[in-house]
Amino acid sequence: MDSASRYLSLDEPDRSDHLWRYTPWRRVHPSGIVSEIPELGQPILRLLTIDGSDVPDGIRLVEGEASQTVLPNSDELTSSFLLASSNCSRWTLVVDRKFSAESPIVLEIQTGEGASACQISLEVGEMAEIELVTRVVGNNDWFGLLRTGRIGDGAILNDVLLGLQERGTMLRSDSIAIGRDSQVRAGTVSSGSEKTKSDIRYLMGDSGGSVRVLGSILSADSMHLDHHIEIHHDAPETFSRLSWHSACGGKSRTVGTGMLRVSDGSNGADAAQIFHNLLLSKDAEADSIPELEVMEHDVVGCGHGTANGPIDEDQMFYLEARGLDKQDAKRALIAAFLNSTLSEMGSEQLHEWLVGVLSQQLESLGS
Amino acid sequence: MVDNKEARDAVGDYKAGWHDPENSTIRFDFGLSEEVVREISGLKDEPTWMTDIRVKAFKHFSERPMPTWGNTHLLKEIDFDNICYYLRSSESTEKNWDDVPEDIRNTFERLGIPEAEQKWLSGVTAQYESEAVYHSIREDLEEQGVIFLDMDSGLREYPEIVKKWFCSVVPHSDNKFAALNTAVWSGGSFIYVPKGVHVEMPVQAYFRINAKNMGQFERTLIIADEGSSVHYVEGCTAPSYSTDSLHSAVVELVALPGAHIRYSTIQNWSSNVYNLVTKRGIAHENAKIEWVDGNIGSKLTMKYPAVILKGEGSHAEVISVAYSGEGQHQDAGAKIHHLASNTTSKILSKSISKNGGRGSYRGMVTVSPKADNCKLNVVCDALILDEDSRSDTYPTMEVSNPTARCEHEASVSKVSDDQLFYLMSRGHSEEEALAMIVNGFFEPFTRELPMEYAVELNQLMALEMEGSIG
Repeated sequence: MDSASRYLSLDEPDRSDHLWRYTPWRRVHPSGIVSEIPELGQPILRLLTIDGSDVPDGIRLVEGEASQTVLPNSDELTSSFLLASSNCSRWTLVVDRKFSAESPIVLEIQTGEGASACQISLEVGEMAEIELVTRVVGNNDWFGLLRTGRIGDGAILNDVLLGLQERGTMLRSDSIAIGRDSQVRAGTVSSGSEKTKSDIRYLMGDSGGSVRVLGSILSADSMHLDHHIEIHHDAPETFSRLSWHSACGGKSRTVGTGMLRVSDGSNGADAAQIFHNLLLSKDAEADSIPELEVMEHDVVGCGHGTANGPIDEDQMFYLEARGLDKQDAKRALIAAFLNSTLSEMGSEQLHEWLVGVLSQQLESLGS
Repeated sequence: MVDNKEARDAVGDYKAGWHDPENSTIRFDFGLSEEVVREISGLKDEPTWMTDIRVKAFKHFSERPMPTWGNTHLLKEIDFDNICYYLRSSESTEKNWDDVPEDIRNTFERLGIPEAEQKWLSGVTAQYESEAVYHSIREDLEEQGVIFLDMDSGLREYPEIVKKWFCSVVPHSDNKFAALNTAVWSGGSFIYVPKGVHVEMPVQAYFRINAKNMGQFERTLIIADEGSSVHYVEGCTAPSYSTDSLHSAVVELVALPGAHIRYSTIQNWSSNVYNLVTKRGIAHENAKIEWVDGNIGSKLTMKYPAVILKGEGSHAEVISVAYSGEGQHQDAGAKIHHLASNTTSKILSKSISKNGGRGSYRGMVTVSPKADNCKLNVVCDALILDEDSRSDTYPTMEVSNPTARCEHEASVSKVSDDQLFYLMSRGHSEEEALAMIVNGFFEPFTRELPMEYAVELNQLMALEMEGSIG
């Protein structure tokens, strides 16, 4: 069955379905008519280094047929819909075996007009070392992004997705397998789009894999940013950390749901997740559901936590006593809060670049 | 007492798993219909408004689908047509143990209820199948105006109070099993504590299912008036059968301004009982509600004691432990809704899974936009004792007020080798060491129980830990 037929054969999920509890599928479907797969435009993709120069040999973006394999634990509805709607825009990002990039690589996605979607398959070769920033910009109504692929054995990847659309809705689905002994840092920086629904899933099916999933989320006005992250430990000696920071202002709402699943046989697994929410206004709302399913008893540890709170008044006092006005003090504390995950996403060079982008966002949001 | 070999074989280590011959005075046929609901109401000679609520609830139950979350696989196995919805074994509720039919009295003596009553309880109700068979309260409390009755007597003697509060905390349409309970409820406790009265010693209810394929649907309503306090303790057991029984209770607590209700449960149903219970309390200004909840038995438990913090300054605590052994799924948790300012809450959940058992914590905490300066803390710890077992945590936190301080933390781990080594190097066997670690793990819970219950629970856990090693 092709992906379009598969999508059309599925029932619309109701709110008892954990994944769609806070953001019903109807609300993020491009037309709102869930029984259709509308024709979508193609975004423009460009690969460059962080300073704007051409990328070195060893990494390339190939247009055309990309692997349509998604993880067995992926949400069928999102993946089949995105596979079907991105059939005109499929790409493979190939990183050669043992390729090592000196500076971060930027994959820029200009979302174009109206509604658009694309699929990118990440094929990171064994023992490659790379920092990749996927930067999504534009002001169209709807953008869908499906990322699939596999991180090769022993590879080191810092993979940051930067959502900077000026408006509209973003539907994102990641379905990525992590190879043996590979180390992945997966960052999400989200401060654009009015509505975001993302479903990010990693599978560690080979021993020794490690993933750190990090989020720096800034929402304002009436934004609705819903991120679901699933990490499956399906092999021995695997390691994961999920750390998600959301600052939520205006009448916005952020949702962070996480699922760490440790399968039977994943002895020596070490898994933890934490959600931190900073509420900046009385109309903002932050929801967190950090879930754990542990079917293996011989684990190093599995834990999760969540904490919500306002800006600390003592910290505000400290900064104001040193001459900052209220607005600047608040902005500094929000930036510091978001920076604690941002600083973990990659190298110093990448971090500086991300701080620059986020500072601009903070200015423009008037926080 | 019948020495039933088949039953003893099925019981194994479950020491409350014997059953007595069934001497029912009234027994309904299996299955549920509007007629059955009306008949139960008619038997009890209830006022029309109660019959109407029952019928309305039955219709809701019939129309409402089964939950699509939780252990849907086990839920699907419930055969509602193969359950007896009403069985009466005694003609009336007695105030003297000597008047209780001998076989039933023997059962409760074996469970130690009359002895406990003499030593440390303010009042006792004992329910056997669908009806309370024994009920008493200390005279001095009665003189202070404390009402402690079985729910049927409460409805007969205080219809206005019951009418005011019945379904006010858990509406009949709250969920499928609350609807079922509202339709066919029988027995349970009704407590009213007048303004300023403190019931110093706990009152206890003990629920026993004896018959096969039985449904027990008790309904409990506790109202603590302004500035009063009460501690209610309930225990429950059933025989071990190869076919399933259903226990679906509803408990409603109302803590009026400044009142304090503590509700302690040790659930030790046999492993053929579905325990699908709705427990909820409303705390008014500066009131306090505590659920102390131990889940040791049953095949599937789905129970999430809840508190609605409606009044400013109110406080809620839920302390729970769950033990999941072979073939058991303890899906337990807590729900707390902060609706008013300056409210605080604390949830502590501990679970142990062993021999293929599955323990799940499922919780929800919400803070409404108008509830300023709320504080809440949730801690869940789980131990998995062997490779066949499983532990899940599903917490939900919805915060709509920026002044709220909310924390949640959870951990899943195995028994530490260092702890085992430490205890064994001091001369304990591995089995003893494990039992001590488990008792220590549950200690924050057991210290909240009356001493007799804590000792009983520790013994029960030691029994469950036997054979854990090797």
